[in-house]
Amino acid sequence: MLTVALVGVAGGAGGAVLLRRAWAERTRERAALVGAGWIVLLATLLLSAWTAGAVKGGAVAIAGIALGTLGIVAQGRVVRTARATRDMLAPEPLEGPSRAWRGVLKFLLAGPLGMAAAMGIAFCYATWAPGDPRTRIIVGGLLMPLGWALAMTWTLADQRLLRAVAVLVGTTVAGFALAAVRGLA
Amino acid sequence: MNKARNAGKAKSRWPLPPATVRAVLSGHGILGLAFAAVIYLVCLSGTLAVFVHDLERWEQPAAPAATHIDDAVMTRALDVAARKAPAGTTLYATLPSEQEPGATIVAYSPSFEREWTVDAQGGLVEKAAAFSEFILKLHIALHLPRSWGEFIVGLTGVALLSSLVSGILAHPRVFKDAFHLRLGGSRRLQEADLHNRLGIWALPFHVTIALTGALLGLSTLIVGVLAMLLYRGDTAKVYGLFIDAPPAVNATPSPLPSVSELLAEARRRAPGAQPHQLTIENAGRADVRVTVTSQRDRLLVPQDTTSFDLAGRVVKNQHPDDLAAGTRILGGIGQLHFGWYGGLPVRIIYGLLGMALCVVTSSGVTIWLARRRDKGRAVPQWERLWAAVAWGQPLALVLAALAAIALPSTATALWTWLGATLALLLGFGMLRLPAPVCARGLRLALALALIALGACHLLVSRTTPGGLFVDIVLLIVGAGLLRSYMPIHFAARNG
Repeated sequence: MLTVALVGVAGGAGGAVLLRRAWAERTRERAALVGAGWIVLLATLLLSAWTAGAVKGGAVAIAGIALGTLGIVAQGRVVRTARATRDMLAPEPLEGPSRAWRGVLKFLLAGPLGMAAAMGIAFCYATWAPGDPRTRIIVGGLLMPLGWALAMTWTLADQRLLRAVAVLVGTTVAGFALAAVRGLA
Repeated sequence: MNKARNAGKAKSRWPLPPATVRAVLSGHGILGLAFAAVIYLVCLSGTLAVFVHDLERWEQPAAPAATHIDDAVMTRALDVAARKAPAGTTLYATLPSEQEPGATIVAYSPSFEREWTVDAQGGLVEKAAAFSEFILKLHIALHLPRSWGEFIVGLTGVALLSSLVSGILAHPRVFKDAFHLRLGGSRRLQEADLHNRLGIWALPFHVTIALTGALLGLSTLIVGVLAMLLYRGDTAKVYGLFIDAPPAVNATPSPLPSVSELLAEARRRAPGAQPHQLTIENAGRADVRVTVTSQRDRLLVPQDTTSFDLAGRVVKNQHPDDLAAGTRILGGIGQLHFGWYGGLPVRIIYGLLGMALCVVTSSGVTIWLARRRDKGRAVPQWERLWAAVAWGQPLALVLAALAAIALPSTATALWTWLGATLALLLGFGMLRLPAPVCARGLRLALALALIALGACHLLVSRTTPGGLFVDIVLLIVGAGLLRSYMPIHFAARNG
């Protein structure tokens, strides 16, 4: 496993070097280098999966590639004393006066309502999707946190709260009703 | 002109309009701030939990760490364990390997729980790893009542997952800035670069950790609601899809069957796989069921299962191809989350990326605090409180480890950690010192505590190669922190 991990780190670093060169110029992107960089990262993933097994090798590669690329980021660090200019900084978040009821509603949307809607989708998948019920339950289980996370992202960003309420409540009711109708055949 | 046009083109490639990016960034900030402390604590304890087996050996260097145990020796050890536990207890025996040394036996029933390490002669050494247990329970359920604690940790995983998604959506210059790490100068720019680079390049890993963690934490809730929806609340029917029905009850006392013969039969039935775990349900009774689970090199988790009854008859014989995809995924979720599947190299990579996630969390809060300060709306009390979390939590955990060395019990570690956490939060909430001074003070305290931990362990414990390695790491990290503190301190005094 040491070899697979080292291949992951080395492949990640190699791909990152190519991508860094490709994106070095702010105004011009070198497509061939970009392609080569991504191909090296993908090849590292495939090689690890082929060597150590699809899931095991793939998981080691994902972690190793991350470490290798971060090593290249750290190696290219710049120590400076200049102040940041406006152009360097990330976009500013929306700010402005907000009402308490909007805060409470957003909490309910991102929290319990988002959770219920995600469960509705997960259970609907678990009951209606084809295949073994165990696989459907586990995939549905993975869909639940994913759906909840996406609901959180959306509802916290969307200013039209009534639309979000309608979508989440509708998804919850439809998801649970469809799941209850079908059952785990 | 061309440059401007190219820059314009690059900007327009981002699928979200600027106003949406700002709204997503706003949501990212709200979510991050609401969950920052608990995400940080779960990530920090999770990073340590990756090394929990190494920590157990560090805490108890006298515990045997065999890399191979004869079947006959394991049979003897299981007989001894079965005699020490009440009849009907389930015994879980883990066989050692070169990658994962140390054979263990866990005896568990709702009213009895004990864990031993097995030596080369089959003798049992009771496990005494209070700090490791404290860390694992902190990560899994925050030492709260199990169902509540797991739900909060699961919710934290969802919040982390959502933050990762919104963080990417709110980053139009994801490729343009992919390799920029500008240290020094503007604090906000430095922290933003750290936050974005660590967050983006480790994204697949972090998504995997957050998703698996969320599912592990929320599984009880998901099963409960699914059972209410489909089985009138009978959760056993949902679990029954994944686990075998218990054997027909026969409480007549009976010795264990010959485990070495069962292991030999399991090897014969699963060529190419090595027995990894033995599960003995209803040990000491006639309705005993022995299950041998075997591991193959290319698989993440053991998927070959052979079960026997008291007479040694095979009652179940299952191999990877017989398993539903869902069962295989379920088995792998925990291993993928904790990184216990690939030996020390994988654990080290998981540990480093876990620390990266802690830095991502901490820098996210620091960016928000720096932005407020830049706009003339500084919140010094929150700055101090965040310093008390970011540097105070590692310090509180090191103090808990020190306390567990002095008085080995999980309660000692828990109360020390809790006391230190509350004291730091209250103390730094009330102090009127600038936050950077608080952070430097805590960093110095952490450096000294790490050095003290390494030195104390070296003094009081038997030296083993693994233990010595951990002590040296503690001393080096402590010295490194101390060294990074010194120039700032002297510069501040001289300046």
